[in-house]
Amino acid sequence: MTAEPGSIKGLIRQFVMESGQGKGVKEIGDNDSLTESGVIDSLGIFRLVSFLEENVGVHIGDDEILQDNFRSIADIERFVAAKLASQGEKAGSIQ
Amino acid sequence: MPYILQQLLTQSAERHAERTAVCARGRSLSYRELNERSNQLAHFLREHGVKKGDRVGLFFPKAVESVVAMFGALKAGAVYVPLDPNQPAERIIYIISNCGIKALVASEDRLRTLDPAAIPSVEFVLLTHELANGSPRPNTFPWSALTSFPSSHAPELEATTTDLAYILYTSGSTGRPKGVMLSHQNALTFVEWCAEMFQIKCDDRLSNHAPLHFDLSVFDVYNGIKAGASVYMVPDETAVFPASLAKWIEQEQITVWYSVPSALVHLVLHGRLSAEKLVKLRLILFAGEVFPQKYLKQLAELLPHIELYNLYGPTETNVCTYYRVDRAKLPGMDKLPIGRACANTEVFAVDEHDRIVGVGGVGELYVRGPAVTPGYWRDPEKTAKMCLPNRFQPNFDEKMYRTGDLVTPDENGDYYFLGRRDSQIKSRGYRIELGEIEAALLSHSGVCEAAAVAVPDEEVGNRIKAFVAPHQPGGLSAVELQQHCATRVPKYMIPEFIELCEGLPKTSTGKIDRVRLSQTSSRAAD
Repeated sequence: MTAEPGSIKGLIRQFVMESGQGKGVKEIGDNDSLTESGVIDSLGIFRLVSFLEENVGVHIGDDEILQDNFRSIADIERFVAAKLASQGEKAGSIQ
Repeated sequence: MPYILQQLLTQSAERHAERTAVCARGRSLSYRELNERSNQLAHFLREHGVKKGDRVGLFFPKAVESVVAMFGALKAGAVYVPLDPNQPAERIIYIISNCGIKALVASEDRLRTLDPAAIPSVEFVLLTHELANGSPRPNTFPWSALTSFPSSHAPELEATTTDLAYILYTSGSTGRPKGVMLSHQNALTFVEWCAEMFQIKCDDRLSNHAPLHFDLSVFDVYNGIKAGASVYMVPDETAVFPASLAKWIEQEQITVWYSVPSALVHLVLHGRLSAEKLVKLRLILFAGEVFPQKYLKQLAELLPHIELYNLYGPTETNVCTYYRVDRAKLPGMDKLPIGRACANTEVFAVDEHDRIVGVGGVGELYVRGPAVTPGYWRDPEKTAKMCLPNRFQPNFDEKMYRTGDLVTPDENGDYYFLGRRDSQIKSRGYRIELGEIEAALLSHSGVCEAAAVAVPDEEVGNRIKAFVAPHQPGGLSAVELQQHCATRVPKYMIPEFIELCEGLPKTSTGKIDRVRLSQTSSRAAD
């Protein structure tokens, strides 16, 4: 399924907050580093990727799971939006 | 022959003054700079009252200053204690008071998490940077305070190889971490063996992946410095992303990699490793947990030109056995040995009848030799339990360390790890006492009974699950308990799953039936 663009950030935030909660992190700003605060670790990153693939409808390759794309909630949102746009273009060109 | 660790640095500083000693986050120090800066730090510590044997805590994220602080403390005759910057304040405060840390080298944001009233033993603090907004508390000095101290030489020091060099805190089964004391001799026994075994040279670049409170980092730092090689510290956030990490290894032209297997499993699965890109890498060492054969075979296939070694040993002995992966035999092997004793070390397995076992027998692994810890900081009881008189050698008094690991030797003299005698587990290479997790859960006022169990997992070794019976049904949530644990134990020890139940199953003797709980959770994971 593909989520509405406006709700993507909400979905990302919800997932991140749920992961953070179990680790005692209560507040996360859009630009806060998710790895420094320990919200996302080497296991959490792959749960986040699966979550995005299932709920937002993006396909994320191993070579895209980079710190630049996943540093903060804002970075993830930007990355996902760009991915959706390029997936849309590809889908358009096939048609 | 060096008999104290800081001699490794002074010797390399003479031979390789302008080579890079350490590099972290784009900043680096030459051997000359590292030597001079650590001399200054040693004088600074002495000037402020640090005496031989006093404890100096290091409390900041990995940086080039970490290595300055390690050597500076040693040159002052002090014992350094690496404190994990990611652990809850309560645990850090416990460690600081447990070993009576007198001086801290800290970053301002980490320091802010500690209430000064809770750490009365700390007399002064050196920040790893300049003061942001004036002095945040009394007796706190900026890094630039070092510049007024002599750099050309270290303070005079009467030291011997049996003096303590550092204390590493590991998980304790009674709910509190315990301090493993390591002497210069303990560390050097391992370092000297490595230098010979792995032929580390001045043009090598060693990665430092493990945190500094984890004994894997002893290899990276001291072997790098001994050889006049360069130590490259992996940025914490890079380590989270396998593709970023693989790129980092390529770009920094790392030649020697040492980490827990789970970091390598992530690289195998998601790092897009290729031999064409990692042309400089020549040696991969791993330790801390069992490397799943399936992924080790994949790693060996992806990187056919690289030598692979399995190293084994608890913090109390550093590495005490090793096994060189035989590529010809690997495809047919279903279990990797932990191998045989390192130089200057003896290991043997003792069965329940107190006999040393032969080929095919099963026993607990014992270690003797100069690599073995003198014991746990101010815990003679625990020390006496783990460091026993060597009853297999009656001629003179000496100690041997019982690892708690069950092993079996094969006909080649290689040992195989079979499991634990107690409830210690490994998760992502971290050594965890389930008892410490249970103590954290039980410290919540709403918890009546708690049991933590390990759920075996191919990628990370084990995941942690807890069963909790609250005093009042419905009065607690799993998230609330996880948050409570987060204030007492490191993140890697927080149970990933918490099941709330009315009461925990009991054995016929009335103890919590852990076997049944483990079976339930393993089945659930299938």
